[in-house]
Amino acid sequence: MLNIHEQESKYAESARKFRKNVDRDLANQELRSNFRGAMDYLMDKRKTAFPEQDELETLRRQAQLIKQRCLLKLPHLLEELEQNLTKNGIHVHWAETPAQANEMIAQLIASKKGKTVVKGKSMVSEETALNDYLEQRDIECLESDMGEFIVQLAKEHPSHIIMPAIHQNKKQVADLFSGNINDFEHTTDVDALIQQGRKTLREKFCNADVGISGVNFAVAETGTLCLVENEGNGRMCTTVPDLHIAITGIEKVVEHMADIPPLLSLLTRSATGQIISTYFNMISSPRKKGEKDGPEEVHLVLLDNGRSQAFADDELRQTLQCIRCGTCMNHCPVYTRIGGHAYGTVYPGPIGKIVSPHMLGLEATSNLPTASSLCGACGEVCPVKIPIPKLLLRLRKESVKPESQQPVIMKGQGSGRTTLEASIWKAWSLVHKVPALYRLSMFMVTRFRFLIPNKLGGWTSVRTAPKPAARTLHERLRERK
Amino acid sequence: MSTKTELQQLSSKSKSSILAKLKAQVSGADYSKLPVEMAYEYPELSHQQQLELFTNNLTANHAQVINTSKESIERIVAEELSKRNLNKILIGTNSEYKDGLSAQLEVQEYDFDLQQNKPYLFNEVAASLSTSLCSIAQTGTIVLWPDENEPRTLSLVPPVHFVIVDAQKLYPSFSDVLVKQKWQQNMPTNIVFISGPSKTADIQQTLAYGAHGPKELVVLLINV
Ligand code: SF4
Repeated sequence: MLNIHEQESKYAESARKFRKNVDRDLANQELRSNFRGAMDYLMDKRKTAFPEQDELETLRRQAQLIKQRCLLKLPHLLEELEQNLTKNGIHVHWAETPAQANEMIAQLIASKKGKTVVKGKSMVSEETALNDYLEQRDIECLESDMGEFIVQLAKEHPSHIIMPAIHQNKKQVADLFSGNINDFEHTTDVDALIQQGRKTLREKFCNADVGISGVNFAVAETGTLCLVENEGNGRMCTTVPDLHIAITGIEKVVEHMADIPPLLSLLTRSATGQIISTYFNMISSPRKKGEKDGPEEVHLVLLDNGRSQAFADDELRQTLQCIRCGTCMNHCPVYTRIGGHAYGTVYPGPIGKIVSPHMLGLEATSNLPTASSLCGACGEVCPVKIPIPKLLLRLRKESVKPESQQPVIMKGQGSGRTTLEASIWKAWSLVHKVPALYRLSMFMVTRFRFLIPNKLGGWTSVRTAPKPAARTLHERLRERK
Repeated sequence: MSTKTELQQLSSKSKSSILAKLKAQVSGADYSKLPVEMAYEYPELSHQQQLELFTNNLTANHAQVINTSKESIERIVAEELSKRNLNKILIGTNSEYKDGLSAQLEVQEYDFDLQQNKPYLFNEVAASLSTSLCSIAQTGTIVLWPDENEPRTLSLVPPVHFVIVDAQKLYPSFSDVLVKQKWQQNMPTNIVFISGPSKTADIQQTLAYGAHGPKELVVLLINV
């Protein structure tokens, strides 16, 4: 029997606490210096990876057009992908919600009587909170990416989509290992820490029944799953256990193999400044007859989780161009200061602000699009040219649109709307439409300016209160004649 | 109803629902009028320049590149192993280097099924040797096309990986490989690009090698 309980994502709850989270994390000096150091490092790496502006801009434009073409053809490409994967012997499953995806994966594992799972990095499985789900079913699911492994030991969530443990420094990692790994000799030497992780995880790879991974690109024309990584844990998870389950969002499909080279180049260079990752792994079938390793069965779970909602609007659809490089975070002055956990969502930073409202609804996330100075850095570095600042403005509008206004573009439309703010804007527009009212109100503001208080809530916590002039500009100009 | 059927039903229900939503948006789209996707034209490099770039990229990524002739492969492998105090190597089946290597080293062929031999591969094999399909200068990448003779884990599990690369099969870029080799027409089970030893910077942005895969990548570049 399937057991699907649609329930609110735990991330909706934490996203609602955004403002509180921000206060908490802004006050944490160690955290702030960890992020500052990491972001400076990553920005610098990216800069050196793109020495030629001309090359960068040509690549970005090309990648933008590739992703837009693939989105325009998305339903057909998904069908083609399924056909070709099936032809190659890979099973495809479709899930609309995280609950469906989790149940599908749990059942696939159960069908093989699997008890231990090793997982390569997959942000989509974070979206579905797969680890929690499997744990409840008594299935051990161990994260094998070094950063994810650390985060899992610490019972935390990734704070960055590329470098999940970026909020911790080596001393914190050493303390964590001491508290959790038997016979670990305390050291802050990074090499020794990594070797400890390697030792622990190799044992797991050797014994795991199931490997779970994400997917960076799924190629429709060949039915191929592509994985980008440096550590080799992705290759382990997809090669050593007998069952491999990949999970990904429906927007990851590309039409041609030839679309991959520019996207791959932009992905690794934008993310970590590497000309290419150590491994680029292309999987097109389970183990064939005569082959001596590789999983007997390969499955792909395609997850929607709000993506089709973003797809339904031409402007918001651009959100789905994202190749999850993380560079918009690295360049975001807000992310650098508040860190990745404050957002409360799976995807933090600029991309998180534009994608999470589709996954969790605007009601839980209506604060996120407002947490931006609109400096534009994210849009400028995005390798697929998503106009992130524009989308933030759009989401702000959607969140204050009257609930009943048609068409309803997003779940949670109007949840950021307050009667007070709405009436202020109504009055504002009325005053600016009727000249007599405008003159009257200006007269009042200038003559009664002494009534404006010095304290204006949040506005004056870091600024002085505005003081209107004694007379209006109109009056003064009239006098000059 | 069996769970399997239930799963299939759920999946096909979700599939129809997702596809219907997507199709409603793009049903009338005209695919003949898409904007031209211009690729960047990289300057053309001579074979010599490509070789240099390939080697530099790999070295920058912490791989060791040794220029050699085909005849010296066995000798160099033996020398490099002895520098590491090793005298055993795992190789693919039907390898043309088997006899030459056996004369100097203890050679094990990958002639077993991984399923029954995981502890052996993970705990007892210190070094492996594989061949490669081709390589890419722009990114310092070696392309492996694993098969029955050289399984996927041959280049993944042992801590030291020796890989033979033929300088004659060097391409300027990934795009170029696809144009010339047309993989699209027939993809194998797995293709893997390797551009250095396994590494991570997940702890405080500090690079460490040998995260999960090989700690050392030794490239034997047949160049004479
Ligand atoms: S929005 Fe752009 S910059 Fe941000 S993660 Fe996605 S692709 Fe990278």
